[in-house]
Amino acid sequence: MGLATPRPGAWTQCVGGGGSVRLVVMTGDWVVRGFVATLHALARGGCAVLSVLLLAAHVALMVPGFGLGLVFLLPWPFVVMRRATNAVRRLSGGVPLPYLPRPPAPAPEPDGRYQYNRRLYRSPFWPRQQRYLEWTLGDQATWRDIGWMVANPVVGGLLGFAPAALVLGGLAAVMTAAVGFLPWWALVPGLAAATAGLATAPALVRAHDAWARRILGPPQTRIGSLKAWLGIRLLALLRMLALAGLAVVSALLAVASLAALTASCLGFVVALPPVVRWTRAVATVRRRLADRWSGVRVDQPYRPEPALPPLRPDGLYEVGGHLYRSRTWTRYHQQLSWLRRDPATWRDMSWTAADPIVGGALVLGSVGALAYGFLGLVIAGLLHIVHAPEPPGLRVFADRPWLAVVTGVALAVAGVLAAPAALRAHGRWTAVLLAPTAEARLNLRVQQLTESRADATQAQAAELRRIERDLHDGAQARLVALGLALGTIEQLVEQDPAGARRMLVEARQTSAKALTELRDLVRGIHPPVLAERGLVDAVRALALDAPLPTTVTADLPGRPPEPVEAAVYFAVNEALANAGKHAGAARVAVTIDYDGSALRVTVGDDGCGGADPTLGSGLRGVRHRLAAFDGTVRVSSPTGGPTLVVLEVPCALSSPRTSIS
Amino acid sequence: MRVVLAEDLYLLREGLKQLLTAHGFEVVAAVETGPELLRALLDLRPDVAVVDVRLPPTQTDEGLQAALAARKQIPGLPVLVLSQHVERLYARELLADGTGGIGYLLKDRVFNADQFVDAIRRVAAGGTAMDPDVIAKLLAQDERRAESTVARLTVREREVLELMAEGRSNAAIGQRLFLSESAVGKHTASIFGKLGLAPSDDDNRRVLAVLAFLDRGP
Repeated sequence: MGLATPRPGAWTQCVGGGGSVRLVVMTGDWVVRGFVATLHALARGGCAVLSVLLLAAHVALMVPGFGLGLVFLLPWPFVVMRRATNAVRRLSGGVPLPYLPRPPAPAPEPDGRYQYNRRLYRSPFWPRQQRYLEWTLGDQATWRDIGWMVANPVVGGLLGFAPAALVLGGLAAVMTAAVGFLPWWALVPGLAAATAGLATAPALVRAHDAWARRILGPPQTRIGSLKAWLGIRLLALLRMLALAGLAVVSALLAVASLAALTASCLGFVVALPPVVRWTRAVATVRRRLADRWSGVRVDQPYRPEPALPPLRPDGLYEVGGHLYRSRTWTRYHQQLSWLRRDPATWRDMSWTAADPIVGGALVLGSVGALAYGFLGLVIAGLLHIVHAPEPPGLRVFADRPWLAVVTGVALAVAGVLAAPAALRAHGRWTAVLLAPTAEARLNLRVQQLTESRADATQAQAAELRRIERDLHDGAQARLVALGLALGTIEQLVEQDPAGARRMLVEARQTSAKALTELRDLVRGIHPPVLAERGLVDAVRALALDAPLPTTVTADLPGRPPEPVEAAVYFAVNEALANAGKHAGAARVAVTIDYDGSALRVTVGDDGCGGADPTLGSGLRGVRHRLAAFDGTVRVSSPTGGPTLVVLEVPCALSSPRTSIS
Repeated sequence: MRVVLAEDLYLLREGLKQLLTAHGFEVVAAVETGPELLRALLDLRPDVAVVDVRLPPTQTDEGLQAALAARKQIPGLPVLVLSQHVERLYARELLADGTGGIGYLLKDRVFNADQFVDAIRRVAAGGTAMDPDVIAKLLAQDERRAESTVARLTVREREVLELMAEGRSNAAIGQRLFLSESAVGKHTASIFGKLGLAPSDDDNRRVLAVLAFLDRGP
């Protein structure tokens, strides 16, 4: 409302004047501002009166509406009365409107009837009425408005009328004292009250507007900071409590492992595998919790289960120097040696033994401190102080219960404060023994790379085979035909010039066809636009040729490596073709960006969705090709659309290159 | 007519030089790289330039970029761009300044010397020569799209539109389709009507209008 901004004139006026003039000008300005603010406050006081009237109207409607079941009486007057609350919103410094958008008119089903809540109606009247009812009464803002009507007569009335009351009361006292009805010293409190009214008016107006914004504005989505602060700590405490429960499970597993080890030392090897499997299951849960609760990522360290060894010529299987005839036994021994040789097995076991101690200590430091501080010290201390009939034993500070209460409060607060840190530390502790060792990590990586290399070489071989076939059946064959034709022409040129000319035309056509085929082939190997312009323009060229209107938005600070560009190009090509084929979309949007470590391309359409998340054969090929660069393809296609294909490839960008489009 | 030629493959460069000389052109410079081309275009200001898209040293679209850069300094400098592949993206960039004098052909079109030379002359005169492949792509795509406008044209009108988009005059179209010039005129008027374009006599503006119409999708 611009109440707090000083008028520029106040300063320009006093440039040439002396100190007293400046003081008079400033005082005058201040008084004027105070009066204006008082008037603004008075208007807000009027809102308080208005809210009383509105409340009366609402109550009058609600008694028959809810009391007698005539609910249809409610919505329309509610909506009409929103005009009044909207006027208050405008007056209170433009509070944004909180209401839900009005529902559209019901659309008929194919058979001409109208549906509401799984019932069909012949006329749109009832669906419309019910939607209207749902829209008004289901809107949180309607009830917040009523809450405002209840509270505002007091809050708004106080804030709005206080300045005017102070000013008027003060001035009245001054007047009566001047006339002589009151003793002369009544001037002092009178003036003070008037001054206070003028001084506080702007602040009270602001306070009123803040209050109106709070209750009449859209509900705040952000949790209040104190609530959030407490919530985070409470959640951390609950999680620590859950982890304490899981530490008990670890302890039980440690006992079981010890028993199984002892048994296997005595020759009873059967006991080991199940215990190891249980331990793995529990450890897997803890890894996931460390990631989700403590934000510490802990990968799986286990070696992959080996495949059955090849059958020897004599029909036996070999496992670690022993030969077995039956498959079941072979597999059993194989598993035994697989579990025994994996260092992760032994690290898991030592973790089951250590977790109750280390994790338990962390739990004690947070949940324990709170529980003991509150129950063991505060409650016990207070009971001692009031001399309850049978006070529980206060072991520490038994002779000084007040000190016990203070210490207990401090301990409980410390426990609450320490909870998030304890939860993080717990996650880090989990990573110490449960994360893969550097060696295990390398092993996993090697395995991953072996797979993706096999995929890549296979894809490459298939590609070469296709190129070979295309060349063999296409351009090569045409060149042979061309050579033959030229030979014939050589013979004909003397005897039958007209025939030779005819053959020349044919030969030219053959050479043109060969060129066209070669061009298509080249496009399939490495599109020329990609070589000439890079990924972004190549995708733009694709978009121009796409069957659906396609927009391309790109933000790439440089060029990705060439192989990545090619793989991503073909992936986008495939995704665009899919969108055109079966998405039922009207337009497609492609975005290309780079987040500092990975290139991300999103192909989204506004079609009906429901695409197969396991990908068609085309995109599966794309996934294999991208896997060679540790890239990923994700497809999100809920029924009803939209469909999103997201490609992500980690890579570094080379120096930027200017693009002219 | 003075021509600047830019082509990095020796055989093709010499072949083009012979072909052009044989048809009465004067090849004032035959260059190999992008920077050389730009210098030649700015210094010699030829009547027309025949340029390969892909040139050394980067083996990217140096030729195209040099041609565009030269046309920025000399607006309307006639340039015929040759390439092993045609892209709508490039066609759009070449036509973007709307000054005409642009040709964009596949290298295969050199096989038919008469048509090729005809295209060069059209470009030099400020007209346009678009490769039939570009036009075919545009038409094919327009047909696939739901709200196809070209679908409303008759077969004959579409033939006329294709030839018109290549940059041919009504007389030339009539010759090709065995029609009288006035009949072609009727067809073009009908096409313009269906596409919602104001009719114009200017060859170059016709192509620009057609391309602009077909290009307005994405």
